[in-house]
Amino acid sequence: MSYHWNFASVFDNWWALAIGVVGTLKLFVVCLVIGMSVGLIVGLGRRSSRRPVRWLSTAFVEFFRNTPVLVQILWFYYALPILVPIEVSPFLAAILGISLNSAAYSAEIFRGGIQSIEPGQWEAARALGMTWLQCMRRIILPQSIRRVIPSLTNRGVEIFKMSTLASVVAYVELLQQGKLIASLNFNPLEVYTVIAAIFLIILYPIVRVTYAVERRLARSD
Amino acid sequence: MYNWDFLPVLSESGLLLAGFRNTLILTATALTGGLAVGLLLALARLSHRRLLSLPAGIVIEVFRTTPPLVQLFWFYFGLPIILSVEMTPFLAAALTFTIQSGAFFAEIFRAGIVSIEKGQWEAARVIGMTHSQLMRRIILPQAVKRMFPSMMERSIELMKTTTLVATVSYADLLYEANELAQKTFRPLEVYTVVALIYFISITFISFLAARLEGRFARSGEMTR
Repeated sequence: MSYHWNFASVFDNWWALAIGVVGTLKLFVVCLVIGMSVGLIVGLGRRSSRRPVRWLSTAFVEFFRNTPVLVQILWFYYALPILVPIEVSPFLAAILGISLNSAAYSAEIFRGGIQSIEPGQWEAARALGMTWLQCMRRIILPQSIRRVIPSLTNRGVEIFKMSTLASVVAYVELLQQGKLIASLNFNPLEVYTVIAAIFLIILYPIVRVTYAVERRLARSD
Repeated sequence: MYNWDFLPVLSESGLLLAGFRNTLILTATALTGGLAVGLLLALARLSHRRLLSLPAGIVIEVFRTTPPLVQLFWFYFGLPIILSVEMTPFLAAALTFTIQSGAFFAEIFRAGIVSIEKGQWEAARVIGMTHSQLMRRIILPQAVKRMFPSMMERSIELMKTTTLVATVSYADLLYEANELAQKTFRPLEVYTVVALIYFISITFISFLAARLEGRFARSGEMTR
């Protein structure tokens, strides 16, 4: 138990960690935007009156929720280029895997939120002569998104944590940089402690805010 | 057009089967450990003694807000340095996923325990039960039924998270798939088959869970 922690060897490489943070943030933002937008579309698709649309959205959700995201990333990285003549970079593979996986989860969140709105709201909007799109945009979505904000923030935190999986296909993000530093300086204990701390520092405030929002929504409903 | 050929994969299906067995072993180990750790953490966090509730809270928050892959690397590459013990991929994975899922299970247990009406606690107290008696006989049996859906969801998450051990060379299903893809030069077929294996087994487990939930709901002992 007399191990001497030596964090200097980690902080000497702060620029490598900074590059990693940038890579992580870039992947996070792209996956968040794509995941939420596709999620909203698929969530609406699951409530469509057209059977093929409903069936396709359900198949999408079930497939991406019931397979591990790491398998999805590896599939996009190694298998997809065989089917379609494009080059799949580690960044693209990670985006596809993480975005589509989160889209499936957020689709269920959006669907739940939309379903929770009382039918009276629909009927009233319809009676005023609104089209389906107007009714969705002006009446239903604003109310349901407010209700699902805590679940969506949780999903965002999950996406941030999932971004570490991109290191498996050697995309340059925080954990990948950590592996590099650890292998050059033989200090895995300090490196992985610092990386865990960085994630904690970034994500913990978001988690606290989510708790607070959850409590406030619970009171106001 | 690409010619799909599953034959090289199917002829090596023993490898994938062995990998799937290891996935199940790891999931079962981490699930058993995680439920126990989760219950202890939840009880500690609900305790009135700050000496118990504070450390439990810290463990729960840290393991819920850091990525599981970072935790796994910490336990596999970092912990052996402090403890100067030899770490096997299985031990590191079992330890990581036990504590990680324990942190999530703890929050489920806590929500379930808190959801039991005050009257139940008071009535048990009045009859003269000690804290551990009322927990064991009155509160937990009711709480566990309410927690069932979240528990199943978390267990399925756990099974999917175990794929991360492939990165520290524990021979789970995904690890064997990586091996097989290199050996056969058929990554498309290999990863498609592996995705299907996960999809079918997890869909089957969800189906069983839904049926059990339905039974609980009918007996009127569960709120959703």
